[in-house]
Amino acid sequence: MHGIKKWFGNFQAVDDVSLEIRPNEFFTLLGPSGCGKTTLLRMIAGFEMPTEGSIRLDGTEIASLLPNQRPVNTVFQNYALFPHLTVAENIGFGLKMLGRPKAEIAATVAEMIKLVHLEGRGGDPVTQLSGGQQQRVALARALAPRPKVLLLDEPLSALDLKLRKSMQIELKRLQSETGITFVFVTHDQEEALTMSDRIAVMSHGKVRQVGEPWEIYDRPAERFVADFIGDTNFLDVDVVAIEGERARVRLASGAEIPATFPADIRPAGKVTIVIRPEHARAVSTGLSPATPQSVPLSGTVHDVVYLGTDTHFHVRLEDGTNFMVRQQNARSGPCGFAVGDPVGIELSDDVAQILRD
Amino acid sequence: MSVSPAELSETLRRKDIRDRWFLSAPALILIGVASAGPLLIVVLYSFLAPGSYGDVKWAFSTDGWFNVFFSRDIFDETVSLAEAHFSIFWRSIRVALATTVLCLILGFPTAYFIATRPPHNRSIWLFVITIPFWTNMLIRAFAIQEVIRTEGLVNTLLLKLGIISAPIQMLFTDFAILLGMTYVHLPLMVLPLYASLEKLDFRLVEAAYDLYASRLNVLLKVIVPLVKPGLIAGSILVFIPALSSYVIPRVLGGGKNLMIGNLIELQFGQGRNWPLGAALSVTLVAIVLVALLFYVRNVGKSGGGAHG
Repeated sequence: MHGIKKWFGNFQAVDDVSLEIRPNEFFTLLGPSGCGKTTLLRMIAGFEMPTEGSIRLDGTEIASLLPNQRPVNTVFQNYALFPHLTVAENIGFGLKMLGRPKAEIAATVAEMIKLVHLEGRGGDPVTQLSGGQQQRVALARALAPRPKVLLLDEPLSALDLKLRKSMQIELKRLQSETGITFVFVTHDQEEALTMSDRIAVMSHGKVRQVGEPWEIYDRPAERFVADFIGDTNFLDVDVVAIEGERARVRLASGAEIPATFPADIRPAGKVTIVIRPEHARAVSTGLSPATPQSVPLSGTVHDVVYLGTDTHFHVRLEDGTNFMVRQQNARSGPCGFAVGDPVGIELSDDVAQILRD
Repeated sequence: MSVSPAELSETLRRKDIRDRWFLSAPALILIGVASAGPLLIVVLYSFLAPGSYGDVKWAFSTDGWFNVFFSRDIFDETVSLAEAHFSIFWRSIRVALATTVLCLILGFPTAYFIATRPPHNRSIWLFVITIPFWTNMLIRAFAIQEVIRTEGLVNTLLLKLGIISAPIQMLFTDFAILLGMTYVHLPLMVLPLYASLEKLDFRLVEAAYDLYASRLNVLLKVIVPLVKPGLIAGSILVFIPALSSYVIPRVLGGGKNLMIGNLIELQFGQGRNWPLGAALSVTLVAIVLVALLFYVRNVGKSGGGAHG
């Protein structure tokens, strides 16, 4: 799709979005509520018309086609199953509307019921199913006509955590088994990281960054992206030099570390870098005299949060900024530091990323 | 005093039943006085002999019922079927059915239109729909008469515009009756339909479009099955008063084409044959009950009522 804009009255829901979604890809639109991701999805489905721009599917312009003319199916947020039909009738609805022969419909429905593990439930009214089962009927119903693209509008948000986890795996399996392109909308960053081949992070109607999950997480291009996904430390630094694809930046402590940066900028002067909490380690300062180069940051522990699998140390750096360190509890017993302890912070190699302003 | 648990629970159970009767007494009295009582009086009257100046004589007689179905020749006493009554019954049923169908055809788009407006506009449209209820039905019937009579609004307009050269006879025709009946009963169809359509989840409509349904199929396969309770409630609400209506057929039909309501009115008025009137009324109730049973069985069969 190219240059998509959508206005609702005076409100611009989608602002000049251009995206290319590849065949057989699990593509996720990730963003907070109201960022325009659902509107974008509805435009692909045909429920909304873009005010400007074009949507092409395999080279064919589809932006002006009606929803029932597009080889695209949707799994709705609240499933939107037909309450007056049975499980099998729901799954077969699309094929029936396409006028396929009865035998073909029956065969496809049986296949779909097997695919989503609802054997023996075909004759049940959908109102008798649990949330997870309804979810799977909705999936089967949208997959049955074998669309070129399957759109999923926060389909897991109504499920409880455990069910959500198993459905995430299920969805991924369905996508690889059917080979259909999935476009998935969610506000849950963990869900997006777990399932996607690529993610587009959106806010205020704009796409902020597109990339594979590790790129979105480790190499956020903007403050919004870094902040929205996971816990992050922001540090103000000075750019000293550019060495190929890395920049040397000087921290407040005087230590210099390498930092990656988005390909479309050339950082200079004062910039902000991000460092993920798990890429840092808290070390004791008492034992060996630390050089700024091996232990680039130091400060005082002002909060310790014990989470079972790991512990979060909130450290106040010498210049007053807060820095969080996430340390895995590799051994049992109390964690290493207490509130008030002076600590040094070691960084793993190549963990700093410079943000676009 | 010692009471065994079994006795105690038995006492409590009796008290519970007594309390329930006591608490539902107001409703029971109301149903008795307002509904069952009058109906019983009508049934009773249908088995009495007519008085000379109206009213009834307190003597058992089946003449009222006999006269519903048969007529006795006044000269040679031969008994034949009361064809006039049967044709009036049949005619009433036809008119009531036609009114119901017309109300459905007109009411469904109206209700759909209102249900798809933004919420704050819906109440305005509903208000507009209910305005006719503020006026007496007789006055509304005369208003329609004024519109369609030979020198009325429509004919005058069409003549002035030169579309017709002579006025069209509309008043005192079947057209006039159906027009009036549909106009009067339309809100009774629109309101329950609106109630159903308003609850309809329009995401289901989107889902149907998404699954390649045409507009017609969206209507027939998704919307109609889901608003079926409203369709049935509206149809019943229109059919029953339409079957027994007498003001509209009289004012707009000119009294030429009688309906059951007119026939009953006649027996209690000029006819001075209250037992026959009462028997006809009970027959009408029976027809309505049969129609209702037919509806209920049909709904049960097609598995409707799963929604709403």
